[in-house]
Amino acid sequence: MSCSPFDLRDYYLKELTDPQQRQVESHVKDCSACREELERLRLTQAALFSLRDEEIPQRIAFVSDPVFEPSGPRRWWTALWGSPGRLGFASAAMLSAALLISALTRTSGRGPAAGLSSSEIDRRIQQAVYASEARQTVKTTQLVHDLAQKADTEHQLRLVAESDAEYTRKQKYALEKSLNEWVTPASN
Amino acid sequence: MIFRAVEDTDLIRQASRGSVESFNLLVSRWEKRVYNYLLRIAGNREDALDLAQDVFLKAYQNLRKLDDPGRFAPWLYRIAHNEAYSLFRKRKPEVDGETIEPEATGQGIAVGATSVFPIELSLAVASALGRLSADQREAVVLKIYQGFKFEEMSEILSCPVSTVKSRLYTALELLKADLAPISPRGVS
Repeated sequence: MSCSPFDLRDYYLKELTDPQQRQVESHVKDCSACREELERLRLTQAALFSLRDEEIPQRIAFVSDPVFEPSGPRRWWTALWGSPGRLGFASAAMLSAALLISALTRTSGRGPAAGLSSSEIDRRIQQAVYASEARQTVKTTQLVHDLAQKADTEHQLRLVAESDAEYTRKQKYALEKSLNEWVTPASN
Repeated sequence: MIFRAVEDTDLIRQASRGSVESFNLLVSRWEKRVYNYLLRIAGNREDALDLAQDVFLKAYQNLRKLDDPGRFAPWLYRIAHNEAYSLFRKRKPEVDGETIEPEATGQGIAVGATSVFPIELSLAVASALGRLSADQREAVVLKIYQGFKFEEMSEILSCPVSTVKSRLYTALELLKADLAPISPRGVS
């Protein structure tokens, strides 16, 4: 048995209050038996620590780990199908949208059957054809006129060019003749 | 150490409000310690890993019941203790829980593969721990390896502090006799 004022094992394991710890420390300084007992406890603990903690073979696969969670859109989709309330709301929203689109389409009045009779449609088509033909005739007339004007211009330019060439040729001939007349008297 | 404790407390509060990331961080901090505790009382790596998985799952499910985040560690080990003994009872239903022995005691006590101590010492320690009763061994694991206070051990094991001390000190006497025997001069 130990002669320590408090249990040496409590002291060694730091389970005493601070004043109690100090009392034991003071006692142990003067008691070789208690020092030996504390040394045996220290050796025992050191031996126990020769068994080291092992690394965990694999990480705890927690079910809510992000790696196990589906992607955002998938979570949303799963949540939608998993909730009758949300599914009902989505169905109602889709039905409302379909009704709205249908209503807008009907009131637009841009279809072929927007209250016109068959004869009226034929008349309007005929009018459109006449208008188109008239526009084409005007364009063709203008084109022919432009072409004729262009041809006339080219003809006049050609006449001017020919006239210029004839004039130049006559000038050249006159010059050569003058030179010949000047050279011939000098040689005589 | 203080900062770490504060951080754990914050993580526990966040996790109890539904933050999966905070709980995952808690798992990563505690999984190795819990695994080694389970390994030393179960004596089997596969069981220890399975049990650790169950422990953290139950902890997540019941985290909101933890009134004081500062008591997280003993609360978590209480779950681990219950899970382990639940497994032991399933395997040996005829044996009372207080006297139940984990499977493969003795040789099954894991010897750290990366120990820096001589293998003979590790084997001697494993053998000495294997000769203890399951209750005594668990008391040693919780106090020496996990560093819990008597009060916390009492909470984990659901028994009075006096019982905890009795188990631990009986175990320490047996271990001392094996691992630090009295030499002819007094200390080995």
